[in-house]
Amino acid sequence: MASVVGSIDSDCAEAMLPRPFRVTSQHAETKDTVTLELEPEDGEAVPFAPGQFTMFYVFGIGEVPLSISGDPHHPETLVHTVRSVGAVTAAIAGLRIGDRIGIRGPYGVGWPVEQAEGRDLVVAAGGIGLAPLRPVVLDVLARRDRFGVVSIIYGSRSPVDLLFAEELHSWRSRFDMEIEVTVDRSDETWFGDVGVVTGLLPRISFDPPRTVAMLCGPEIMMKVVANELASRGVAPDRVHVSVERNMKCAIGFCGHCQFGRDFLCRQGPVLPYAQVADRLRVPEL
Amino acid sequence: MNLRSIRESSELLKRLSNTELEFFESVSREIHLVDGAILFEEGSVADTFFIIVTGKVGLELTTPGRAPMVIQTLGPGDLVGVSWFFTPHRWNWSARAFGETDLVAFDAIEVRHKCEADRDLALEVLGVVAEEVVRRLHRTRIQLLDLYRNT
Repeated sequence: MASVVGSIDSDCAEAMLPRPFRVTSQHAETKDTVTLELEPEDGEAVPFAPGQFTMFYVFGIGEVPLSISGDPHHPETLVHTVRSVGAVTAAIAGLRIGDRIGIRGPYGVGWPVEQAEGRDLVVAAGGIGLAPLRPVVLDVLARRDRFGVVSIIYGSRSPVDLLFAEELHSWRSRFDMEIEVTVDRSDETWFGDVGVVTGLLPRISFDPPRTVAMLCGPEIMMKVVANELASRGVAPDRVHVSVERNMKCAIGFCGHCQFGRDFLCRQGPVLPYAQVADRLRVPEL
Repeated sequence: MNLRSIRESSELLKRLSNTELEFFESVSREIHLVDGAILFEEGSVADTFFIIVTGKVGLELTTPGRAPMVIQTLGPGDLVGVSWFFTPHRWNWSARAFGETDLVAFDAIEVRHKCEADRDLALEVLGVVAEEVVRRLHRTRIQLLDLYRNT
């Protein structure tokens, strides 16, 4: 009996043990958002699926879940894009090249990119929500011929809050996918769209019966986009959303991220909208 | 202007019968705006309304001492202007072309007269205008939530 308990303890301890990584690049996306590139000290690559997350540990300060924003075809470099909104994320935003941090994971169920093969793909992002969808875009672009029409609609608070601005330009210049960007509040530097992200849906071309959609952003935004897609004929089980809650252990053990009958760290964070639509109307969840 | 070519892109035109569409054609004209051209100005008489064919139009508010603030942009198929339907028939916003823009302009005075004489058409137009107003209100409410502040 003692040996069984000892084995469980050992497994749990191992799962909670972070791997040391070093910051190899730091790029300010906006005034409060940075993209970090990290490399493992042991040199072992971190294969991941688009949409998965890691537990990012700033030694002495704390650990937070962060979606991976890097290229799944280059697992030797782990990339995270993080907005400074609290003590740990502020510490992450303040990291410099050479700093040492801990990583657990990757964890969770990612975007069903394979479901989109042979179909049209709509990627809808709001705010920092573009970061977890960036690996999808990079994956699709790496094997572009396997997908139908690919469209990205992206909403941001203002022009200065846009993530991956240079990359958005370069994606647009490829001419093999549609990209529409809007902001809630414009300024004199902005000549693009102003308004909510749903207003961009009529601008993009997709065939609803053969469309897969991936949405990431504030839950209200995901709800209105999902409803708009449904009204245009996209099947609810082909609309996928990334739902975030307070993840702690990331291995389905502590229950902090329970969302109805799902532990988001294990069954999520990406789930079919049809599966969670009712739950997104429950204030207590 | 042959409206049949853009009928499917416009909620208003989709709702019209062929006879009604012919009437709308008779009071329409095509216009082309260069980038930055003003379509109408806040406070001026709303005697025309528009449907965008290609390009983009920004609705903006002008305040002394600062650049115009763009509140919303509209694209192909969108109805530009609803003030023409309601008294006092004056624009609440200014509208400006964002890039080269093609539109169909309708004589709002003629359409209002027609609606006074044809209550079925009036209801149809009112329905489309009301739906557009509700859609824009819904979107404005979401914008006011400032959803992306911390996300």
